[in-house]
Parts: sequence; C-alpha cells; structure tokens
Amino acid sequence: MYKCTKCGESPVIIQRKASGQLLCKECFIDSTKEKVLRDIRKYGLIEKGDKVLIALSGGKDSVMMMSIFDILRRRNIIDLIAVTIDEGIKGYREDGIKIARKNADKLGIKHKVVLFKHYFNKNLDDMMKDQIQGDSRHACTYCGVLRRWILNRVAQEEGATKIATGHNLDDETQSIIMNYLEGNLDNLTRIGPKSESNYHKFVPKIKPLREITEKEAGLYVIASNLEVHLASCPYAGDSFRGEVGRFIKKLSENHPTIMYSTLRGFDKIKPILKRELTTNGAMNTCKQCGEPASGDLCKACTFSDKWK
Amino acid sequence: MKITVTIGDQNEVKEISNSITIKDLLKILEIPSETVVVKKNEYIVINEEIVEEGDNIEIIKVIFGG
Repeated sequence: MYKCTKCGESPVIIQRKASGQLLCKECFIDSTKEKVLRDIRKYGLIEKGDKVLIALSGGKDSVMMMSIFDILRRRNIIDLIAVTIDEGIKGYREDGIKIARKNADKLGIKHKVVLFKHYFNKNLDDMMKDQIQGDSRHACTYCGVLRRWILNRVAQEEGATKIATGHNLDDETQSIIMNYLEGNLDNLTRIGPKSESNYHKFVPKIKPLREITEKEAGLYVIASNLEVHLASCPYAGDSFRGEVGRFIKKLSENHPTIMYSTLRGFDKIKPILKRELTTNGAMNTCKQCGEPASGDLCKACTFSDKWK
Repeated sequence: MKITVTIGDQNEVKEISNSITIKDLLKILEIPSETVVVKKNEYIVINEEIVEEGDNIEIIKVIFGG
C-alpha cells in the first residue's frame, strides 16, 4: 500500500511524476492551495483592497481558482466578482453557465453573465456560420479577441482592479510554443503571470494557476468535490492550440518535467526578449468603442465591423 | 475476472485478466492516463493501483485536448 510522502497516511491519490512525491487527498488539496497562494504572493498578483474579476467559465480551472481566491476574500484582503461569458455556443455553454452560477452562489460571490450578442450583436455560432468567403480564421481567434475585450470592458464597468483567468501550466506552455513556432515574438513577450501594460484603460490580468498542470487542476476539483463543467468546446479540437497541446502531452509522457522546464526557461529569457523586442508604440483609444487599441480601431471592432 | 467500468453515463461490465493495474486498464481502453482521473470503488486512485474482481472503476475525463 502506497503512503503519503507528507503525512504517511493512505490512500494516496497522486504520484507526481516530476518529483516522485506521493500525496493523500488532504495533503494534495492543501499543498496545491498553498502553492497557488504562494504564487499569488511571489508574483505580486494582488494587493490588499483589490477587486478581482474572476473569469468564470464553470470549468475546472476557473472554479478551482475562484475557490482559492475566496480564501483571500474571507480574510477581507480582496473583493470578488465572477463573470461568465456566454459566447453563444449551442449545446456547450448552457451547462457551464448553470454550474458557474451554482459555484458562485454557494460561496456568496456576485455573479454576472455577459453575452457576445449583447456587445457584438451576434453570437459565436452565427459569426462562424456567416464567416465571409476567404476568411479562414479559426473560431478561437475571434473568441479570444472578443472575450478579452468583454472582460476588460466589464472589469471597468464593475470597478474591478484585476482580471483573473484560469490559465494553467498546460495553457501557458502551449502559448509559449505556439507563439514561438509562429514567430509571433510580440505576443511572446506578453506571456507571464501578470500583464504589464501601463495603459490606464487596460485592467491588469493575472494567472494564479500558471504553475499548476491541467491534470492536477482536474484532480483538485474532483478531490474537493467541486461541481465543474467537464466538456470540450466544439470549436477547440481542430485549433492550432489543440495540435500543439497534443504534441506537448505526448512529449510529457516520457519527459514529465518538460512543461515546467519550458516555462522556467521562458521566464528567464523573457526579460531579454522584452528588452530587445518591445516597441514603444503608444497605445491609442479605439475610435469606435473607446477601448485600448494599437491603431485607430481595436481588434474587436475590426472584427465586428465585418458583420455589420 | 469481471469489473464494471463507468465512463460518463456509460456503465460496462468488462472481463479482464487478473492483477492488472489502472495504468494497464487505461492502455487496454486506449485512454491516455494524463487526461483522466480514476476512481476505484468511489475513491480516487493512482495509476499503479491493482484492479480486483468486482471493482467499480470510474474514469473521469478532465482534459479535452482543446
């Protein structure tokens, strides 16, 4: 019978491949929670008095993140608001919204559902159905841009001082590899635990689960009996991110520390990349919506103009 | 020996050879172990856990490859 490396109890629920550590349920939950709280402190993700907008999809990562941020809320260090974006993906998003609401209600956290249709006059399904010929952009490209726009807008409306997203180690490693493979060095310099723009209209984004693997996030919610939406977005499978994700998972089978080393290596070279590559292009305000933009129009307005 | 395997809403009784581990079972079922959490008789178990006659094995997919 395997015994927990920390407390000596059985049964164990995880053997961490990277360290060989065996953990029972209680020690796994406690150590994971501690790790996230430690990272929040280490990277200075929050300050006392922050109002944190939780981007709550109802999936494992965001539900786990909210439950840990709630510890800080109960200690009166921060305030929380949970926001769920309804992109309008039929047969997928409805369950996520219900579960997101249940989790927020259980903790007594204010919860808001915001719709693509409200802000952009169309839901994602219709955007993809009506995509003009020759536009080969993947749904994830539109969705990513529009979600970021909505979160920044709602954060300002709600007086939130931080936007917290549930990106985990797998997501972050995928972003590093994807941007490197695509030669998108500008995006590469923006990857990190906390966004670094000084532009006042950008609400800083933080990623407290950046060093937690996706598998451990899944294990955490099941071990903690948290209700989560376990389903796949119908648009996700054939994306470039999906391809890169499968490639990294395959590599991880024989090289269990590969995601940690990718992240650590990247974090070391990032300051050099930033120094060498960051342009001092001033941020503008989008002429159409008033949100931050690098040109006359922000990306979300450039997209939504197509559907007018 | 016979075990019951539950994946989502589907229950299935499976005939398997003695003394296999969860890892072996996942391999037989062609499920990548990195994408699932497995419960044996309602308790979460690690890949090295031995599967025994009459066990109820629940396989919970937590990673969807998107």
